[in-house]
Amino acid sequence: MTGNREDAEEIVQDAFVRAYRALGKMSPEQRADLRLQPWLYTITLNVTRNRLRSKRPANVALDALADPDALLRESNEGPPQPERIVEQNAEIALVERALLQLPMHLRAAATLRFIEGRSHPEIAEILNQPIGTVKSHVHRAVRILRRILGPQIGRFNPEGVPVHALS
Amino acid sequence: MRCRDVDALWDELRGECQASLKETVHTHLRACPSCQAVYEQYAGVAYCLSCLPRPEPSCDLAKKVIQHIAALKGVAAPIVLSVIATPLGRLYAGFKDQRIAYLSLDTGDSPEEVAGRAGRRLRRPVVLGEAPAWLLRTIERFFSTWKVDDAAVDISDLTPFEQAVLRAAARIPPGEVRSYAWVATQIGRPRAARAVGRVMARNPLPLLFPCHRVVDSSGDLHDYFYGLEMKAKLLQMEGYRG
Repeated sequence: MTGNREDAEEIVQDAFVRAYRALGKMSPEQRADLRLQPWLYTITLNVTRNRLRSKRPANVALDALADPDALLRESNEGPPQPERIVEQNAEIALVERALLQLPMHLRAAATLRFIEGRSHPEIAEILNQPIGTVKSHVHRAVRILRRILGPQIGRFNPEGVPVHALS
Repeated sequence: MRCRDVDALWDELRGECQASLKETVHTHLRACPSCQAVYEQYAGVAYCLSCLPRPEPSCDLAKKVIQHIAALKGVAAPIVLSVIATPLGRLYAGFKDQRIAYLSLDTGDSPEEVAGRAGRRLRRPVVLGEAPAWLLRTIERFFSTWKVDDAAVDISDLTPFEQAVLRAAARIPPGEVRSYAWVATQIGRPRAARAVGRVMARNPLPLLFPCHRVVDSSGDLHDYFYGLEMKAKLLQMEGYRG
């Protein structure tokens, strides 16, 4: 979500401190009703939002959304990288940078859905949004990422078989 | 089914969804190469995201969080403020963990106002409560001996300098006085007499840490939060013949 470890760890620390404070203020009944994992996700995301609002990532080009292909061109123009490991790292960096270009709410939806592997109802609980909104955010995130990463992303289809052959 | 509808259903299809819906979409996909390509690209996006390395937290992150919270725990503990009748009239005494942390003679302010002052001074929440037996005994003993057991007071919220000043002042025997400069010398900061005066003026535990026994170098009583008359009265009660 933040694009770097230091920020992420500070956010985690902050989130735990907030959670600790909030637990102290809760009544025993409230604590018994609490679903801990989604609640921690929610707090962490709130802290992330607050922090990123005040501290915009400077390393992401502001016009990248307007011209998503720029990222790909940039990477294609780079020096040839013969070793496979380097190539892999470059691909990871490409995906990470694409994700960082999404607006906060879409990035949160995509991260929870595809990186954390959460279901729509779970995401709806974490983000405190209707399921329909979650679905639409996830979908918009994927559409934008597809545009940024380009049609070649299709070759990463995990099953290695055409989608239409799945029944 | 139109391409637009099919497009929106992609993520839905990955999870549990009605078999009939799945069938409808797949029928469309078989007939529509462009939707097929889009679906493959979406799947590629999802796959790439799921492959992103999940950074392991640094090994000391858990420790850092725990330390952070432990520090917070101390700050969060509230002071309980209670009212006690004494030979000097009503006395507000704030305590935590069976130790007195705040003391204030009644100056006509409401308990809430005193609680506000105590909270600001010690940077802790303050709640009003009954005085427990140990507190009554400690205060009673103080008014007969003019001394307090070190284990009965808590000045841990103060700065190291403030703590040193108060401990030095506590070494002045009842009925005697010392100068601000004397206290400053005692703590190894002979030039800090004025700073000592400032600590005395903000003493959260008057009486128990006897700032009333600290006077200026000429022997003049100088000043007291509760007035010079109270300072003189206290010293007189202790047996001071100055």
